[in-house]
Amino acid sequence: MADKKTIKFEIATPERVVLKRQAYQVLVPTEEGEITVLPEHSPLISILKPGVIEAVLDDNSTEVMSVSGGFVEVLKSKIVILADSAERAEELDEEAVEEAKKKAQESKDRAESEDHVEFTEVAVKLERELARARAVKRWRSLRGPRGNK
Amino acid sequence: MASTKEISRRLRSIKNTQKITKAMEMVAAAKMRKATESVLKTRTYANLSWMTVLNISNSSNANKYLHPLLAKREKVQKVAMILISSNRGLCGGFNSSVLSKAVKSIETHGNLPTDFIILGSKGLNAYSRYKHPVVAEFNKPDSVVSGADIRPVSKLVLDSYLNNEYDKVFVAYTDFVNVVKQVPRVKQLLPVEIDKEDDYLGVVGKDEKVGLTKEYVAKKEEKYLSSTGAPYIFTYEPGGEEILNQIIPRLLEVQLLQAVLESNASEHSARMMAMNQANKAASDLSQELQLLYNKARQASITSEIAEISAGASALAK
Repeated sequence: MADKKTIKFEIATPERVVLKRQAYQVLVPTEEGEITVLPEHSPLISILKPGVIEAVLDDNSTEVMSVSGGFVEVLKSKIVILADSAERAEELDEEAVEEAKKKAQESKDRAESEDHVEFTEVAVKLERELARARAVKRWRSLRGPRGNK
Repeated sequence: MASTKEISRRLRSIKNTQKITKAMEMVAAAKMRKATESVLKTRTYANLSWMTVLNISNSSNANKYLHPLLAKREKVQKVAMILISSNRGLCGGFNSSVLSKAVKSIETHGNLPTDFIILGSKGLNAYSRYKHPVVAEFNKPDSVVSGADIRPVSKLVLDSYLNNEYDKVFVAYTDFVNVVKQVPRVKQLLPVEIDKEDDYLGVVGKDEKVGLTKEYVAKKEEKYLSSTGAPYIFTYEPGGEEILNQIIPRLLEVQLLQAVLESNASEHSARMMAMNQANKAASDLSQELQLLYNKARQASITSEIAEISAGASALAK
């Protein structure tokens, strides 16, 4: 395990740098489907869609994050994610996420009948909340079997 | 020697001015804190995205894939300069230094006809002093800036660039290095090309990277790319055109936003420094005047006593 190759993994949003670590592999949701990036992946640029990023870090822990869209740039030994917004699952509060999800769903239902622009905005928001909820669930399920660390 | 009355009047007026400069200094300090915070937050993102844009541009040179925003035009006839200045004065050399930097860079790079697009009303000096036409003036919010404030600017620039109105677009702004140091810089936004003059490349912010060179990008490239000797060609998912259409305007917007944020932080710290100096000058002056005033007062008392005693001794004779 010691000489297994790692890739530099950096995820930044306009507000902050969410994470900057060495990773063994990173799972990224792109518009074309989910891709797993390993070290020495060929250079790639793609558009992210709202979803869950899973990174296996160099200490063998798995980091789960939600993103709401953005871009991913893969270089030979570096993966850069420029996200519109991103949170680490452990920072997210499950109840708050569920609450926000419900609210977003409600306002989506309401907006659907009214304004087109508003509807898109709300739909985007809902996507983000759904991504957060998925991230939290994934994180819990990963953490569960290993006995709560 | 001036009369005590005159001196005390001047003293009072200076003390009043000092109150004002002190208040302005404190306001500027508060605004600066906010502006610095927001500039530091977005800096990593902006730098990473600029590196991405440069990487894309680099790879587009390598595999001859050209996006209209990446293509270098054969003949450069007209240039646009986005000038980010302040809305108000009293901030030392902030406005004049960014303006003269912009003008100098126009002169050193062929003196092409240049239209100014200004953010911040002080940019009008570009016309009144240097006679460069100003085609658009945008409102610049003083402290909190969001993407929505920048969108009209980036839209105007992208549209007129794609319509071949301009062949190059620059942005002149002030890089915030720290509270006492701000560096005016000119950066080429469009087309995105790696082979341009060194001083037009640049990652914002960090001191050592001000004056980033092609070698720096090349070194980065070596570090992250050619470790396996494979050619440096990106795969684009979905298609290249589609993805670049989305990515490049967005990333340019981020650059513009960051330039405004940097300028704001610089402006407020420049103003704070200027007001701090004014404050110091005022207290120096008022100290001097106080001394003068005391001397004048003492002199008048002495002469009064002398007169009285002279009068008394004349009477006594």
